Amino acid sequence: MKSLIYGIIALFVVTSCTIDKTDYNAEIGSEVPDNYEFKEAVSFTSGNYKISIDALNGTFYKGYNELHLKIVNTQNNQEISTSAVTFLPIMSNADGSKSSCPHEYNVAYDSANKYYSGYSVFTGESTTTVSWKLYISFTVDNQAYEINKDISVEKQSNKNLNMTAFTGKDDEQYIIALISPQKPTVSENPLVAGVYKYNKPTTPAGTFPDPTQFSYSEVTGYTLKLDPRMPEASMGNHSSPNNKDLTQQDDGLYHGVVNYTMTGNWTLNLIMMNQNGLILKGTVVPTDFTPGVEGVKSELYIDTLF
Amino acid sequence: MKYIIMLLFLGMSVMAQNPHAHHDSIKNLEEVTVKNATKKKIETEMKMAVSVDEFLSSSENISFIKRGAYAWEPLLNNMSTERSTVTIDGMHVFGACTDKMDPITSYVESNNLAAIDIKSGQEGSLHGATVAGSIDLRRKSTPFGLQKKWNGAYQTGFEFNNKQFFNLGNISYSGTKFVADGSISYRTADNYHDGNNDEVKHSQYNKFNTSLGLAYKTSDLSSVRLDAIFDMAKDVGFPALPMDLWLSRALITSASYKQLFEEGLVRVVDTKIYFNAIEHYMDDTTRPENLVHMDMPGWSTTYGLVSKANLKRNNYSSEIQLNAYDNLSIAEMRMYPQDRSERTMFAYSWPWVTTRFAGLSMNNSWDLSDKSQLNLGGSLGVNYNYSKYVEFNWIFHPGAPQEKTRFLPSINAGYNLNIDHFNFSVGTGYGHRAPSVSEGYGYYIYNSFDRYDYIGDPNLKNEISYEGNASAGFKNEKFSIQGKINYFYIQNYIIGRILSMGSPMNYQSVGVKGYTSLDYATLLNMSANVSYDILEHLHWKGTLTYARGMDDKGGNLPFIRPLSYLTSLHYMYKNFGIQTSVNGDFEQINYSPEYGEDLTGAYTIWNISADYSFKINKVRSTIQVGAENLLNEYYSTYADWGNIPRMGRNIFMSLKLNF
Repeated sequence: MKSLIYGIIALFVVTSCTIDKTDYNAEIGSEVPDNYEFKEAVSFTSGNYKISIDALNGTFYKGYNELHLKIVNTQNNQEISTSAVTFLPIMSNADGSKSSCPHEYNVAYDSANKYYSGYSVFTGESTTTVSWKLYISFTVDNQAYEINKDISVEKQSNKNLNMTAFTGKDDEQYIIALISPQKPTVSENPLVAGVYKYNKPTTPAGTFPDPTQFSYSEVTGYTLKLDPRMPEASMGNHSSPNNKDLTQQDDGLYHGVVNYTMTGNWTLNLIMMNQNGLILKGTVVPTDFTPGVEGVKSELYIDTLF
Repeated sequence: MKYIIMLLFLGMSVMAQNPHAHHDSIKNLEEVTVKNATKKKIETEMKMAVSVDEFLSSSENISFIKRGAYAWEPLLNNMSTERSTVTIDGMHVFGACTDKMDPITSYVESNNLAAIDIKSGQEGSLHGATVAGSIDLRRKSTPFGLQKKWNGAYQTGFEFNNKQFFNLGNISYSGTKFVADGSISYRTADNYHDGNNDEVKHSQYNKFNTSLGLAYKTSDLSSVRLDAIFDMAKDVGFPALPMDLWLSRALITSASYKQLFEEGLVRVVDTKIYFNAIEHYMDDTTRPENLVHMDMPGWSTTYGLVSKANLKRNNYSSEIQLNAYDNLSIAEMRMYPQDRSERTMFAYSWPWVTTRFAGLSMNNSWDLSDKSQLNLGGSLGVNYNYSKYVEFNWIFHPGAPQEKTRFLPSINAGYNLNIDHFNFSVGTGYGHRAPSVSEGYGYYIYNSFDRYDYIGDPNLKNEISYEGNASAGFKNEKFSIQGKINYFYIQNYIIGRILSMGSPMNYQSVGVKGYTSLDYATLLNMSANVSYDILEHLHWKGTLTYARGMDDKGGNLPFIRPLSYLTSLHYMYKNFGIQTSVNGDFEQINYSPEYGEDLTGAYTIWNISADYSFKINKVRSTIQVGAENLLNEYYSTYADWGNIPRMGRNIFMSLKLNF
């Protein structure tokens, strides 16, 4: 009888619950917002000309932002492609001090895509005390136009586009911003980052905004040594194999490979070395497997999550 | 409780007792037999009510890796399940657990099996590419038109050590046109106790199994048959592993068509399509010592076709078999961080791996004379693998192909000679096998034996086996002796080797091992069997087995059985039988520290049982009482995962009714 009852129960169980298989695409997307579309984030009008700036999701985020600029003659709706365009973001702090962030000052026209292509690595979010303003100039028909506008920089909720700012051992100010992958997977992920340096002004400041006071450049020939690890204590400083250090490629950006062995929180431990192999920032992290104990992070790291 | 079931079956059998004379000029459909070394009854010398595992362990070329009291992993010729093909009536079924907690033998029950065919080495290539051989679990299938239309059996029993209680019932109907077989069983057991009377925690199990087979005779010479097995195990402890089984379920179904031919070369063609689905959910919530909570569900789904033809002409007979299947194996792991509000960590341990196989096999045999016979067989298979989420495999093997096709040839030859009381045989074989899903595509599969995380390699070469075997025996009315030996030289032997890259994922793990190919490994298996009828009703039997496995550097392979022995006495007096046996292993000298083994000491176990057969009306009944490990020895064998101790003294009793 016992077995009969169990049998009947069993038959009910058969036709009822099972654990569902994981939807892998939903799984890897669950922590990562889908921001793949360029939309207008801000637009300015000056005389007969309208400048619009497109950014991903129509929003400026802290960290790296690819920007597409368009200049349109509002009279005849013609797009202007021959102008010399400059772009300068300025951040004002509560104490009135002003600073900038890595950006493309001379924005060049990309004739294939029909926009002026630039970028800006906003180093902070807009708050009640911190505000951002864009200064843009362009020249059409030998006439120079200068305009500026307040913008809002939002928090980047995609941790895979995190950034870090620090001072190197050479006393220079550096910024490393993650650019790609926006949506990592459990796999070999090509890793792209921008590495920028603040160019200390050599001349006294001219009229504000004087671009020589707010100059940044992509650093050339550096190496970012990479050691990705999972910060979760129970993962015991877990790492992955076959990662590749980041080196600069023709596009000026730094390319490497990060292998994520599973979803979750990861820390990209970095060591930044200059052309001569001199370590400017970062420490070697222990490689021991320490279950229950969180691994030590490098003094230079960026956290990711997917 | 159980009496109700008994009454139920009794009632059916009484109804079916109407004598009905029946003549069928056509031979029974199930009559065709092929020469096989088949174990006839599912019972052992010592025990009449056995589990499938216990029954298999009575075969001398099978040993077991045991992770607890349930679902032992059968090793054939001291080789693990990747190297053998385990089938149910020729159907391929693949376990859904990355930790081998569910060998196929765990999805059947002794009361739905008729026999288990074990073939050693390439002789077993009929069911697909193999190195070690094949184990085919043959289901019960009642012939058409039996004199006695209804047959049934009921077994119940209790084992005291782990309070195992089981009820097994099966019934069959045999009509001229229609046949039905049904079985149902339930086993439940608590934790067992070792030889020191200490409880071995997490060794309980619960298993429910039922099966149904229906056959209809479509003409004098043809029939169709539908079969289904449903098996469910719940709350099964694996004391040697860091987690248990919450639930596993298997549905194994098939439909077959059989055609007999009265004349001509082809005598039987039997074609079957099948489907089986297995799901397996592990559970670590009963192990508070675990630092990380993990979900580890697995699924395995297989579709297949098996078609075989038996040919016979004069002194030539042949078996041809076509095998084709498609299997999808999926295993997930999700680790939960200490702070449950944080993001869980997910990965596939089997990244949706498809295996497709198609192969044609043939076994031919010629009776050269009354005394000698020549066997020649071969097969050619195509094995295709596809890893849906191949990016998981790329982490350790960048650029590995997503798809891989392999050709798996096999040939074997044998010669038997019988002269008077003597018999001799020699044989040889050559065959390839493809890496298993875990070996090819496994991803961070934690092996709690050597405590490494294992990574598969899609680029592994085929494992190639060269084998030789021989046997010699003598037999007369009272005495028989048989010696067997086989030797395998296995090229590209697949085994886990420590990787210098990567770091463990499972917190208990100490490192990462990748499946790699050794240049070669060798395996030698020897056995000797002696039996002697001391008196008419007093029989003695003895078995001695020895095996040696070495890698290409002369190091030991893991899980190789040391010198072991079994000796038993069986005495019968009228309806009364008594049997006793002593078995044990010698010290495992040739152990392999590299694979987590340590020296396992010698042990000796003494078992005894007595049975009495009687008849109540027409019900043939047998009652048995016995004790395993009578002296309550505390021991663990070379193949006990993590050296978990085996069961101590176990008194068992069982009752079997046949009607």
